[in-house]
Amino acid sequence: MTEDLPMPADTRRPAFGAGRVLIVVYGVFAIAATARAGYQLIAKASEAPLAYTLSAFSAVVYIVATIAIAHNGRRLRVVGWVAVGIEMLGVLLVGTLSMTHPELFAAESVWSGFGEGYGYVPLVLPFLGLAWLWWSSPRRLSQVRS
Amino acid sequence: MDLVVLGGYVAMVACGLLALWAAFFALRDRAVILKQLIAAGVVVALLLVQAVAAVVELTGGRELVEPAVFWGYLVVALLLLPAGAVVAIAERTRWSSVALVVIALSLLVMESRILQLWSMGAGS
Repeated sequence: MTEDLPMPADTRRPAFGAGRVLIVVYGVFAIAATARAGYQLIAKASEAPLAYTLSAFSAVVYIVATIAIAHNGRRLRVVGWVAVGIEMLGVLLVGTLSMTHPELFAAESVWSGFGEGYGYVPLVLPFLGLAWLWWSSPRRLSQVRS
Repeated sequence: MDLVVLGGYVAMVACGLLALWAAFFALRDRAVILKQLIAAGVVVALLLVQAVAAVVELTGGRELVEPAVFWGYLVVALLLLPAGAVVAIAERTRWSSVALVVIALSLLVMESRILQLWSMGAGS
Protein backbone atom coordinates (compact mmCIF):
# COMPACT_ATOMS: atom_id res chain seq x y z
CA MET A 1 0.00 0.00 0.00
CA THR A 2 2.76 2.43 -0.75
CA GLU A 3 1.36 5.31 -2.64
CA ASP A 4 3.56 7.90 -4.20
CA LEU A 5 3.93 10.62 -1.65
CA PRO A 6 4.25 14.11 -3.07
CA MET A 7 7.80 15.34 -2.80
CA PRO A 8 8.05 18.41 -0.61
CA ALA A 9 8.45 21.28 -3.03
CA ASP A 10 11.12 23.10 -1.12
CA THR A 11 13.05 25.13 -3.63
CA ARG A 12 14.65 27.43 -1.11
CA ARG A 13 18.29 28.15 -1.74
CA PRO A 14 20.34 26.37 0.85
CA ALA A 15 21.50 28.93 3.36
CA PHE A 16 24.94 29.30 1.89
CA GLY A 17 26.21 31.75 -0.66
CA ALA A 18 27.52 34.67 1.38
CA GLY A 19 27.54 32.39 4.41
CA ARG A 20 30.47 30.47 2.97
CA VAL A 21 32.61 33.59 3.31
CA LEU A 22 31.56 33.81 6.94
CA ILE A 23 32.42 30.12 7.43
CA VAL A 24 35.87 30.77 5.95
CA VAL A 25 36.53 33.75 8.22
CA TYR A 26 35.28 31.84 11.29
CA GLY A 27 37.39 28.87 10.24
CA VAL A 28 40.53 30.99 9.92
CA PHE A 29 39.88 32.45 13.35
CA ALA A 30 39.23 28.99 14.80
CA ILE A 31 42.56 27.71 13.49
CA ALA A 32 44.48 30.87 14.39
CA ALA A 33 43.04 31.07 17.93
CA THR A 34 43.60 27.34 18.51
CA ALA A 35 47.20 27.50 17.33
CA ARG A 36 47.85 30.58 19.41
CA ALA A 37 46.19 29.21 22.56
CA GLY A 38 47.90 25.84 22.18
CA TYR A 39 51.30 27.49 21.88
CA GLN A 40 50.66 29.87 24.78
CA LEU A 41 49.36 27.15 27.11
CA ILE A 42 52.16 24.70 26.30
CA ALA A 43 55.09 27.10 26.12
CA LYS A 44 54.34 29.73 28.74
CA ALA A 45 51.17 28.94 30.68
CA SER A 46 52.42 30.45 33.95
CA GLU A 47 53.16 33.93 32.52
CA ALA A 48 49.57 35.11 32.16
CA PRO A 49 47.12 32.35 33.10
CA LEU A 50 43.98 34.48 32.68
CA ALA A 51 44.84 35.76 29.22
CA TYR A 52 45.89 32.32 27.99
CA THR A 53 42.83 30.57 29.43
CA LEU A 54 40.80 33.24 27.66
CA SER A 55 42.63 32.50 24.41
CA ALA A 56 41.75 28.82 24.77
CA PHE A 57 38.12 29.66 25.56
CA SER A 58 37.82 31.97 22.55
CA ALA A 59 39.38 29.24 20.39
CA VAL A 60 36.67 26.79 21.52
CA VAL A 61 33.95 29.39 20.85
CA TYR A 62 35.28 29.99 17.32
CA ILE A 63 35.49 26.25 16.61
CA VAL A 64 31.90 25.66 17.80
CA ALA A 65 30.63 28.69 15.85
CA THR A 66 32.42 27.53 12.67
CA ILE A 67 30.95 24.03 12.90
CA ALA A 68 27.47 25.33 13.74
CA ILE A 69 27.35 27.87 10.90
CA ALA A 70 28.82 25.40 8.41
CA HIS A 71 26.47 22.56 9.37
CA ASN A 72 23.42 24.85 9.43
CA GLY A 73 21.17 22.12 10.81
CA ARG A 74 18.18 22.81 13.02
CA ARG A 75 19.86 22.04 16.33
CA LEU A 76 23.29 23.34 15.36
CA ARG A 77 21.73 26.65 14.34
CA VAL A 78 20.66 27.03 17.98
CA VAL A 79 24.19 26.16 19.04
CA GLY A 80 25.38 28.77 16.54
CA TRP A 81 23.19 31.47 18.09
CA VAL A 82 24.61 30.64 21.53
CA ALA A 83 28.23 30.47 20.35
CA VAL A 84 28.10 33.72 18.37
CA GLY A 85 26.23 35.37 21.26
CA ILE A 86 28.97 34.29 23.69
CA GLU A 87 31.54 35.53 21.19
CA MET A 88 29.88 38.95 21.08
CA LEU A 89 29.65 39.17 24.88
CA GLY A 90 33.25 37.96 25.13
CA VAL A 91 34.77 40.48 22.76
CA LEU A 92 32.79 43.37 24.27
CA LEU A 93 33.53 42.32 27.86
CA VAL A 94 37.21 41.50 27.35
CA GLY A 95 37.67 44.53 25.11
CA THR A 96 36.23 46.83 27.78
CA LEU A 97 38.11 45.16 30.65
CA SER A 98 41.41 45.30 28.78
CA MET A 99 40.91 49.05 28.48
CA THR A 100 39.82 49.71 32.08
CA HIS A 101 41.87 47.02 33.86
CA PRO A 102 44.93 46.38 31.67
CA GLU A 103 46.71 44.68 34.58
CA LEU A 104 44.36 41.71 34.22
CA PHE A 105 45.65 41.05 30.72
CA ALA A 106 49.43 40.92 30.87
CA ALA A 107 49.46 39.12 27.54
CA GLU A 108 47.42 39.70 24.43
CA SER A 109 44.43 37.54 23.65
CA VAL A 110 42.28 37.50 20.52
CA TRP A 111 39.64 39.66 22.18
CA SER A 112 41.78 42.15 24.12
CA GLY A 113 41.49 45.75 22.91
CA PHE A 114 38.37 44.70 20.94
CA GLY A 115 40.59 42.54 18.74
CA GLU A 116 42.96 45.30 17.67
CA GLY A 117 45.70 42.76 17.05
CA TYR A 118 43.51 41.27 14.32
CA GLY A 119 42.40 44.45 12.60
CA TYR A 120 39.23 44.64 14.76
CA VAL A 121 37.80 41.73 12.80
CA PRO A 122 36.91 39.90 16.08
CA LEU A 123 34.71 42.90 16.99
CA VAL A 124 32.82 42.93 13.67
CA LEU A 125 32.58 39.16 13.25
CA PRO A 126 29.89 38.37 15.88
CA PHE A 127 27.60 41.08 14.46
CA LEU A 128 28.00 39.60 10.99
CA GLY A 129 27.46 36.14 12.47
CA LEU A 130 24.20 37.10 14.20
CA ALA A 131 23.02 38.98 11.10
CA TRP A 132 23.71 35.91 8.97
CA LEU A 133 21.98 33.55 11.42
CA TRP A 134 18.91 35.81 11.35
CA TRP A 135 18.98 36.27 7.57
CA SER A 136 19.47 32.59 6.76
CA SER A 137 16.85 31.35 9.23
CA PRO A 138 14.63 28.80 7.41
CA ARG A 139 11.57 30.21 9.19
CA ARG A 140 12.30 33.74 7.98
CA LEU A 141 13.12 32.58 4.45
CA SER A 142 9.88 30.62 4.15
CA GLN A 143 7.85 33.57 5.45
CA VAL A 144 9.54 35.91 3.00
CA ARG A 145 8.75 33.53 0.17
CA SER A 146 5.09 33.01 1.04
CA MET B 1 68.46 38.69 1.08
CA ASP B 2 68.07 34.97 1.65
CA LEU B 3 65.71 32.62 -0.09
CA VAL B 4 63.17 32.78 2.76
CA VAL B 5 62.77 36.55 2.42
CA LEU B 6 62.87 36.42 -1.39
CA GLY B 7 60.33 33.58 -1.52
CA GLY B 8 58.17 35.48 0.95
CA TYR B 9 58.17 38.65 -1.16
CA VAL B 10 57.45 36.78 -4.39
CA ALA B 11 54.64 34.87 -2.64
CA MET B 12 53.19 38.16 -1.34
CA VAL B 13 53.23 39.73 -4.82
CA ALA B 14 51.62 36.63 -6.34
CA CYS B 15 49.07 36.52 -3.54
CA GLY B 16 48.24 40.20 -3.99
CA LEU B 17 47.70 39.67 -7.73
CA LEU B 18 45.48 36.68 -6.97
CA ALA B 19 43.47 38.82 -4.54
CA LEU B 20 42.96 41.49 -7.23
CA TRP B 21 41.99 38.85 -9.79
CA ALA B 22 39.47 37.29 -7.40
CA ALA B 23 38.12 40.74 -6.44
CA PHE B 24 37.58 41.51 -10.13
CA PHE B 25 35.67 38.23 -10.48
CA ALA B 26 33.59 38.98 -7.38
CA LEU B 27 32.61 42.35 -8.86
CA ARG B 28 31.73 40.72 -12.17
CA ASP B 29 29.51 38.19 -10.33
CA ARG B 30 31.64 35.21 -11.33
CA ALA B 31 32.74 32.15 -9.40
CA VAL B 32 36.37 31.07 -8.97
CA ILE B 33 37.78 29.38 -12.09
CA LEU B 34 40.40 26.65 -12.44
CA LYS B 35 43.07 29.09 -13.65
CA GLN B 36 42.75 30.95 -10.35
CA LEU B 37 43.12 27.70 -8.44
CA ILE B 38 46.28 26.96 -10.45
CA ALA B 39 47.55 30.43 -9.52
CA ALA B 40 46.72 29.62 -5.88
CA GLY B 41 48.75 26.43 -6.33
CA VAL B 42 51.72 28.54 -7.48
CA VAL B 43 51.41 30.66 -4.32
CA VAL B 44 51.33 27.51 -2.17
CA ALA B 45 54.40 26.20 -4.05
CA LEU B 46 56.20 29.48 -3.26
CA LEU B 47 55.28 29.08 0.41
CA LEU B 48 56.68 25.54 0.31
CA VAL B 49 59.93 26.85 -1.23
CA GLN B 50 60.05 29.35 1.62
CA ALA B 51 59.46 26.61 4.20
CA VAL B 52 62.18 24.37 2.74
CA ALA B 53 64.59 27.32 2.58
CA ALA B 54 63.80 28.06 6.24
CA VAL B 55 64.54 24.44 7.21
CA VAL B 56 67.85 24.58 5.31
CA GLU B 57 68.84 27.88 6.95
CA LEU B 58 67.86 26.68 10.42
CA THR B 59 69.81 23.42 10.12
CA GLY B 60 72.71 25.58 8.90
CA GLY B 61 72.92 27.21 12.32
CA ARG B 62 70.55 30.14 12.07
CA GLU B 63 68.38 30.76 15.15
CA LEU B 64 64.87 32.12 15.46
CA VAL B 65 63.57 34.12 18.41
CA GLU B 66 60.21 32.33 18.36
CA PRO B 67 60.49 29.20 16.23
CA ALA B 68 57.12 27.78 17.36
CA VAL B 69 55.24 30.94 16.32
CA PHE B 70 57.13 31.09 13.01
CA TRP B 71 56.25 27.50 12.11
CA GLY B 72 52.70 27.92 13.37
CA TYR B 73 52.18 30.82 11.00
CA LEU B 74 53.83 28.99 8.11
CA VAL B 75 51.74 25.82 8.54
CA VAL B 76 48.46 27.75 8.86
CA ALA B 77 49.46 29.88 5.83
CA LEU B 78 49.92 26.68 3.82
CA LEU B 79 46.41 25.51 4.76
CA LEU B 80 44.56 28.70 3.78
CA LEU B 81 44.50 28.47 -0.02
CA PRO B 82 43.59 24.74 -0.11
CA ALA B 83 40.61 25.69 2.07
CA GLY B 84 39.77 28.34 -0.52
CA ALA B 85 39.88 25.67 -3.21
CA VAL B 86 37.36 23.59 -1.26
CA VAL B 87 35.04 26.62 -1.09
CA ALA B 88 35.58 27.27 -4.80
CA ILE B 89 34.44 23.74 -5.64
CA ALA B 90 31.49 23.70 -3.22
CA GLU B 91 30.18 27.20 -3.91
CA ARG B 92 29.73 28.01 -7.59
CA THR B 93 28.62 31.62 -7.12
CA ARG B 94 30.42 34.93 -6.79
CA TRP B 95 30.78 34.23 -3.09
CA SER B 96 33.61 31.78 -3.77
CA SER B 97 35.49 34.73 -5.31
CA VAL B 98 34.77 36.83 -2.23
CA ALA B 99 36.05 33.99 -0.04
CA LEU B 100 39.22 33.80 -2.16
CA VAL B 101 39.77 37.55 -1.72
CA VAL B 102 39.39 37.21 2.06
CA ILE B 103 41.77 34.25 2.15
CA ALA B 104 44.38 35.91 -0.07
CA LEU B 105 44.31 39.06 2.07
CA SER B 106 44.68 37.11 5.33
CA LEU B 107 47.54 35.22 3.71
CA LEU B 108 49.22 38.55 2.93
CA VAL B 109 48.95 39.58 6.58
CA MET B 110 50.29 36.21 7.74
CA GLU B 111 53.18 36.31 5.27
CA SER B 112 54.21 39.76 6.51
CA ARG B 113 54.19 38.35 10.06
CA ILE B 114 56.29 35.38 8.88
CA LEU B 115 58.89 37.72 7.36
CA GLN B 116 58.82 39.82 10.54
CA LEU B 117 59.43 36.74 12.71
CA TRP B 118 62.19 35.64 10.37
CA SER B 119 64.04 38.96 10.48
CA MET B 120 63.66 39.06 14.28
CA GLY B 121 66.01 36.09 14.41
CA ALA B 122 68.57 37.73 12.15
CA GLY B 123 70.26 39.63 14.93
CA SER B 124 70.92 36.68 17.24
